[in-house]
Amino acid sequence: MNSTPFNAWKLVSLSPLSPWTLGLLGALLAAGVLLAAIGLQREPELRRRIVLWGLRIGAGVAAAFFLFEPGVRNLQVAHVKNRIAVLVDRSASMNFPAVPGGKSRLSEVADYLESVSSQLSALQDRFTIEYYGFDPELAPITPQTLRSQAARGPRTDLLSALRSVKSGEQSTASKKLSGVLLFSDGADNADLAAGVAGRGRAALVDYQVPVSTFVVGSQGLKDLAVEQIKVDDFAFVRNSIAVEVEIRGRGFKGQTVPVVLRREGQTVASKSIQLASDDEVHTVSFNISPDQTGRFVYTASVPVFPQEVVIENNTRSFALKVIRDRVRVLLVVGRPSWDERFLRGLLRQDANVDLVSFYILRTLSSEPQVMSDRELSLIPFPMEEIFDAKLDTFDVVIFQNFGYTDPSLSVALYEKNLERYVHNGGGFLMIGGDHAFGEGRSNFPVLGQAMPVEPAGRPATVDSFKPRLTPEGLRHPVTSFSQGAANTEQAWSTLPAIPGANLTRVKPGATVLLDHPFQTLDGKNAPVLALWEYGRGRAMALTVDSSWYWAFASHVSGSPSRLYDRFWGNALRWLVRDPDLTTLTVTADPPSVEPGKPIGVVVAARTPDYQPAAEAEVRVELFSVKAQRSVATQRSTTGPDGMSRLEFPPPEPGAYKILAWANKGEKSLGEGEDAVAVRAVGPELSDASVRADILEQIARATGGKAYALAQGSLPEIPLLDPPVVEVGRSKDEPIWDRWYYLITLVALLGTEWLLRRRFGYI
Amino acid sequence: MSDPIGRRAILRAIAALPLFARRAFAFGDSARFIPAVAQHGGRWDGRLSGLRRLAWELQRRTSVEVVPDARAFPLSSPKLFEYPFLYLGGEGDLPPLSAAEIENLRRYLTFGGFMLADANDVSNGTGFDRGFRREMARVLPRNPLALLPSSHVIFKTYFMLDSAAGRLLNRPQLEVCSLGRRAAVIYSQNDLAGAWNRDEGGDYEFEVSPGGEPQRELAFRLGINVCMYALCLDYKDDAVHLPLIMNKRR
Repeated sequence: MNSTPFNAWKLVSLSPLSPWTLGLLGALLAAGVLLAAIGLQREPELRRRIVLWGLRIGAGVAAAFFLFEPGVRNLQVAHVKNRIAVLVDRSASMNFPAVPGGKSRLSEVADYLESVSSQLSALQDRFTIEYYGFDPELAPITPQTLRSQAARGPRTDLLSALRSVKSGEQSTASKKLSGVLLFSDGADNADLAAGVAGRGRAALVDYQVPVSTFVVGSQGLKDLAVEQIKVDDFAFVRNSIAVEVEIRGRGFKGQTVPVVLRREGQTVASKSIQLASDDEVHTVSFNISPDQTGRFVYTASVPVFPQEVVIENNTRSFALKVIRDRVRVLLVVGRPSWDERFLRGLLRQDANVDLVSFYILRTLSSEPQVMSDRELSLIPFPMEEIFDAKLDTFDVVIFQNFGYTDPSLSVALYEKNLERYVHNGGGFLMIGGDHAFGEGRSNFPVLGQAMPVEPAGRPATVDSFKPRLTPEGLRHPVTSFSQGAANTEQAWSTLPAIPGANLTRVKPGATVLLDHPFQTLDGKNAPVLALWEYGRGRAMALTVDSSWYWAFASHVSGSPSRLYDRFWGNALRWLVRDPDLTTLTVTADPPSVEPGKPIGVVVAARTPDYQPAAEAEVRVELFSVKAQRSVATQRSTTGPDGMSRLEFPPPEPGAYKILAWANKGEKSLGEGEDAVAVRAVGPELSDASVRADILEQIARATGGKAYALAQGSLPEIPLLDPPVVEVGRSKDEPIWDRWYYLITLVALLGTEWLLRRRFGYI
Repeated sequence: MSDPIGRRAILRAIAALPLFARRAFAFGDSARFIPAVAQHGGRWDGRLSGLRRLAWELQRRTSVEVVPDARAFPLSSPKLFEYPFLYLGGEGDLPPLSAAEIENLRRYLTFGGFMLADANDVSNGTGFDRGFRREMARVLPRNPLALLPSSHVIFKTYFMLDSAAGRLLNRPQLEVCSLGRRAAVIYSQNDLAGAWNRDEGGDYEFEVSPGGEPQRELAFRLGINVCMYALCLDYKDDAVHLPLIMNKRR
């Protein structure tokens, strides 16, 4: 039994009726009183009116007591203290000096808390004072821990910290919060990074606890930072893309600052800016045209000047994925032919191909029988334009039965350009005919270096034949039409024979996918389709001029065949290094990593017939572009889906290549490459500024006040008062349950009736 | 006294000799232009010499290599699929084609073949014209013949033309049956090949009216343009050609 006496009470209704019923009956009572008032309006005698209306009101009150059953609830309550939270920002930016050359911002807070400890203690008769640091997780602190443990939080999230402290998850008692004292430099890089607005502001207004803010640090620091880089996630190869670099300079008024953009160590652009004020954000725009597909790490940097508070934020890296746009194909045709006609028809109908073509429609020996060239639709062969000025704009160059020594048609002057084009990453395809591979007048001593075959010096064979798939051709994505070697072989067997081929010799290192079934050279079957990688580019040779038979003659009967389309589609995709045609893909996930975070890598391995390579051994190297060496190696085995995920421990900031190799047993599944940027500083350290404006706005939105940190002085802080009351025990005592309430009601009603009767109302 | 043949001309001729001495040919003629002629139940072979002459002119005037002798095949022949250019001409009624011929011709045109149809009798609503339209409606029922606009690339594939002359000029426009963006059938009612035909003595077999020999030349040019279209499709519609062609059209 609790012997503690009740120390509080309150009036309550003890009626068992529902609120709706009580409301209805209360309305009826009010109506009764109102009707009495209306009915008495014609009574000329004021005294009668007052008496009758007073009796009705008195009866109504008595009836209300009868209905609502008022009672007294005796309470036993205890007064508890509310909380005041002292919240200290422990993000890494609090390690910056509070003033140039001074103590860290965090030490300043520790000193301040010690200097006002007695004033805070004075509040403890009404409040419990709790001390927390956030980095961004909330944890108890003392001034001593603030000094002994450096700030290390990777980001500043003021709103999250305020929410956590209000929820009381860290508090030992479930006490309500009366106020928050927030110590921070205000450099929020989460919800309030752009200022207190929108949802952030709404959350603060709903906070309903005054937050008093104390700004820590000053704006006098010198710092130059690559604050932000705005660039799309991907770019199209050989297309211009804008890179906007935001440089923030503090304390560098009048300083000229060179800004350099590098791609994996190589400078691709640079500009100089001049800072006009002591706190200025300057945007530098670069337009770059990546010349290769793949993912590359770009780094924007500014020099490090003396007395800079942070030097790590003078560089910033990003990874840019360069993909191909529509495949831009240059088709140079030595002479109109059916082979050209069907290839053109295919390329023109392919929405992914941007075809530019030049045909030799008239040679020196042609006699068009015209009075003037205006009667012809011919244009000069713009060799200089296509083989010099614009050669690099093409993804693939196709020479189809093209080879002239006539001065007006010879490309001898541009052979070196073409060879360099292939070497530097272009795709080149030579298709056979009577002007190709040494036949007719074709002769390409320089360009021929890039080709996987060389002329045999023998006349072309004119016997019909069906090209034979080599073992490599069975698996290669150019000639592999179906899943499984047997299906591919069967598909090729349905194609009609073609008449004749140029005779060539395959070069060492080249891969033959199709060969002649009975025409041999040096004891080997003559190549029909051969390819190789030349420098960073790819070259292919098809030594026939009748692949159109696969498109047209194959349709003599049976269902429509798309093998011709697929063959040429595959060939183009291989020439442009379509990522889907590699057996091993490696992807950095994500492509840009904050400092201190591990690098995730996803490897997908496929067998040569493009099935998932389960249980393949994968080796991945993290290659530092700066050091030009491998800095870490990981090994793993792929799962049933041919996938494997690896993780590298956080490396030093910089640009890295991820190189991957995979083997299934003794057989190589190829190699892959990707790039990843490890940032030198995260958002926390990229900006040393003090955001007093954010702290002021927080204080204003929550009903608190904003203060500067003044040692030894604790200002008058807005706090919620009074403290909360908690109920321990209660007991209800009815006060309506008395006989005289009923007698009074009856007496009032009875008196009113009697008087009304006497006055002539009844 | 002036030299009738200049020294420079002789030197140029000598220098050019190697160009002709090593003239090469495609393997097995597969890449060369060889006109195929459709055999049918009517009179189909009245313009064979004209086709030969056209092929000869094509080789002489352009870089195209040809085999001048036309190859005649029934419309049901699978051999048609080795010859993407087909000439279908006739005088008088075109007898109904068999189901096999219709099916084979439909496949031929659908999968890339090109057909030049020519009313050798210059008929309009009768004779060959009536039969041809009837059979085309069976071959490609969803792709009716339509007038070929003068802006079509056929009028600029090699020669700049603005008319569709044949032996006669009964109908000023050609007609076309398109499959997608490709003209699969071109139809002339002016006996185009009649302007090319030669007799056994080597003379042109028919008078050309009303334009005489200039009209014959235009008929050759149109024939060459049609062949060039069959070989190069819309090459001359490429953006790179447009400024120059528009300039020449002015």
